[in-house]
Amino acid sequence: MMTAEQPLMKLDGIAKTFGRSVIALKSVDLEIYRGRVHGLLGANGAGKSTLIKILSGAFPATAGTIQWKGAPASWSSPKEANDMGVATIHQHIPLVPSLSVLENIFLSSQQTWRTTKAMRAQFDALCTRVGYWLDPDKLVGDLSIGARQMVAIFQALGSGADMIVMDEPTASLALEERELVYRTIRLLSKNENKAILFVSHFLDEIIALTDEVTVLRDGRAVMRAETKDLDETKIAEAIVGRQIAAMENAASDRQLADFDDAPVILELKELSSPGKLAPISLNLRAGEVIGIAGLLGSGRSELLHAIFGADQHARGEVLLNGKPLKRSTMAAVKAGVGLVPEDRMQQGLVPDFEIWRNTTLPALEGVSRGGFMPVMRRERERGADAIQRLGIKAPGPDALVSELSGGNAQKVTIAKWLYSHIDVLLLDEPTAGIDIGAKTDILILVRKLASTGKGVIIVSSEFEELLAVSDRILVMRDARCIAEKPVADTSEHELILLAGGQTEMSETA
Amino acid sequence: MNERDIKMASTSNTAADPSIGTSDASGQGVSAEKLERKPDWRAAFGLREMGVFYALLLLVIVLSFATAYMGRSNYLSVLNVTNVMYQASLTSFMAIAMTVVLITGNFDLSVASVAAFSAAVFVGSANSMGLIPAGCLAMGAAIVAGLINGSIVQFVGINAFIVTLGTLTAIRGLVLIYTDGASLTIQSPEMSAALRAFESQRVDAGIVLAVIAVALLICSAVHYTRAKRLEPVNLGMMLGGAALLAFTWSAGFEVPLKMPVIYLAAFTLLVWFVLRFTTVGRRIYAVGGNPEAARLSGINVTFYKLAAFVFCSATAGFAGILFASRLRSMNPTGLQGYELTVIAAAILGGTSLFGGAGSVIKTLGGALLLYSLTNGFNILNLGANYQGLIEGVVVVAAAAIYTVGGRSGRKS
Repeated sequence: MMTAEQPLMKLDGIAKTFGRSVIALKSVDLEIYRGRVHGLLGANGAGKSTLIKILSGAFPATAGTIQWKGAPASWSSPKEANDMGVATIHQHIPLVPSLSVLENIFLSSQQTWRTTKAMRAQFDALCTRVGYWLDPDKLVGDLSIGARQMVAIFQALGSGADMIVMDEPTASLALEERELVYRTIRLLSKNENKAILFVSHFLDEIIALTDEVTVLRDGRAVMRAETKDLDETKIAEAIVGRQIAAMENAASDRQLADFDDAPVILELKELSSPGKLAPISLNLRAGEVIGIAGLLGSGRSELLHAIFGADQHARGEVLLNGKPLKRSTMAAVKAGVGLVPEDRMQQGLVPDFEIWRNTTLPALEGVSRGGFMPVMRRERERGADAIQRLGIKAPGPDALVSELSGGNAQKVTIAKWLYSHIDVLLLDEPTAGIDIGAKTDILILVRKLASTGKGVIIVSSEFEELLAVSDRILVMRDARCIAEKPVADTSEHELILLAGGQTEMSETA
Repeated sequence: MNERDIKMASTSNTAADPSIGTSDASGQGVSAEKLERKPDWRAAFGLREMGVFYALLLLVIVLSFATAYMGRSNYLSVLNVTNVMYQASLTSFMAIAMTVVLITGNFDLSVASVAAFSAAVFVGSANSMGLIPAGCLAMGAAIVAGLINGSIVQFVGINAFIVTLGTLTAIRGLVLIYTDGASLTIQSPEMSAALRAFESQRVDAGIVLAVIAVALLICSAVHYTRAKRLEPVNLGMMLGGAALLAFTWSAGFEVPLKMPVIYLAAFTLLVWFVLRFTTVGRRIYAVGGNPEAARLSGINVTFYKLAAFVFCSATAGFAGILFASRLRSMNPTGLQGYELTVIAAAILGGTSLFGGAGSVIKTLGGALLLYSLTNGFNILNLGANYQGLIEGVVVVAAAAIYTVGGRSGRKS
């Protein structure tokens, strides 16, 4: 075993440029030790993904050296990286859903048979080591996201890796699933002496889980410190280079208005969807922001889809400005309802389109000559305007959305709705997986929209955001709305209790 | 409009913030020049964009030299060039409609069967009811086939490949039932004459082509003076205009085109215009590029996908009528196997099988490439045996170039 003084992996001046103009990493030094969890943080576009891709062998660095176990090393493919002992668990877990757990874990093994006794024995050993049991013959496609994450961790362990890179492993997990991942990570680093590079946006889990922290900003490592010397404010400052007070200020400065006089713009009458949503009635007044607090699978996305007419099986009535809304997305958009969906890449954007073509998609008539011929100049102006208004980091309106980082892509999905006459904006987890700077921008934008008399319904798993931005909060659990609270009369603690149910209340951040 | 009012608080918010502030400042400072679209020469003239035209050009040059060297009739003669266009016209019609279906993310294997069915209905009913009603009936039959394809794919949710593989066989079966396995023929001489005028007549388009060439040159010049620099657009128009002018001039301003070529030119222009410049076109690309995002942006995805099937079958129906008019009879096995040539032409033109990308002009280039190959084999007397092999290699090579070119062309 190596001494703690010698780093398992040492990066020296790692840089990466794409083409001639795009500099993703300027110069990053990083030391990763066995038996320690190293947290890697940074805003969107700071270079985290690039760094991880270099570590995992997806592409080589332009400059700098990598030392592995004290000797200079280089690898040019994920396979080589894996063989040397670096396993990477990517954010979007690349498992084969139609194969069993066992087959996925030993996918890279070079044996003749699909499953062997030795594999099963190895799998049992893995389960015992980690203290988590899975049915090895179950299809991965049938597992929950949390269980899939565990399969990915097993996969990394099965390859005998010394260092495990985890790219936002908890981003899409429910609370108890996160706990499982945390427990496993602690176990691996303390008991098995593995080095772990843990990438996350959640400051609380970085504080709770890691031993040391490196913060990237604009392609450089701007902070490197022991976690015990840090607190959330210090990390957040390092990430965005400023205090994150803006969001809290926005909440406290705001006067909690009385909406009794404001006209009702959206009215739900017993809106329901069989098996997905229990009947719900709701009035949204002009200028009001309603927050929906609920965990993954609580029916919160289903509610938004039912309002937007995207759920063909929905029943009940949706009235916009007193007029019934037909059950189709066309009718909803035409009448002035916009939806920012949960999965921005799968549901929100056309990846082959540039920023400008995505921005104008729901409101093409507005930039068209005679209502049917879009004028490229106007569209590109609109794209450039969106970039400026929302602070999107992109080379220009001609950038493809597939080349943007998460937060910037999210801003494009929101920008789509800012140029048509919408009365109601539905936002489904608009801040998931994006950095604090972009989060604050988006929440402030929501307040601004409300102050111009629009109605907003916003869904989030991060309840402090809802408290900062909403006027009223509905709590959803098991496909039904279980509580409605004015924002002044509730707290994050209460929301977590309500949304998580009594059984899951013990572990809260 | 409220959009002025919500002009992002982030301007005030980010003023205090160095990291976002810099990006914002640069965003404001550069936005005017950012808005200016820099011509991307490498993309515009790269293999991915222009590959099919380079291949066509290369083939034409090789064939011209080969024919000259071997002392055969000149490949580039007006007669031969217009002949290639004529031979390619039926496939091109279907390939262009196929491109639209492929862009919406679907697939239609049944085009040739639909065309054959339309041809059979046309010939079979023309004798009793006259040409125009028969034509309408044939088009109606084709449109119904498209509705059936599209409805099964969109409403039942079966993969388009499987559905149209089924209708490919089933509609060919209908042709056999309708014709009872025998050839149908137009009987009356007047009808034959009318069909000849509709399909086989040659029209001298020399002057028109020269005018188009000059118009292209003028457009190019106007664009150049406005943009104040050479851009791919004006250079392309200039080269195109010059080539067209040179060709018509070398032909002595006499270019006799057969009618289907003229129909095809009008059809291609129309489809290109709709795809390139209208909201309908944008939505077709969006529907193929990401159906869910399109649906959640308020686009009627089902309608556009279904309409693409109907459009494709209707075009196949028209191609069938042209085919029947050419022969003035219909053999029940006519047009068999054409669907593969049609799809090959679309793929040669760089149309994505996954939807969201494709261009009808490039598809036209693909069809011309395939028929130039066939024509070259005939002129050089190389024997039809090698033809299939070479065509297959060309299609796979083209797909390889698009895939590899696409990978290197895009910054990851």
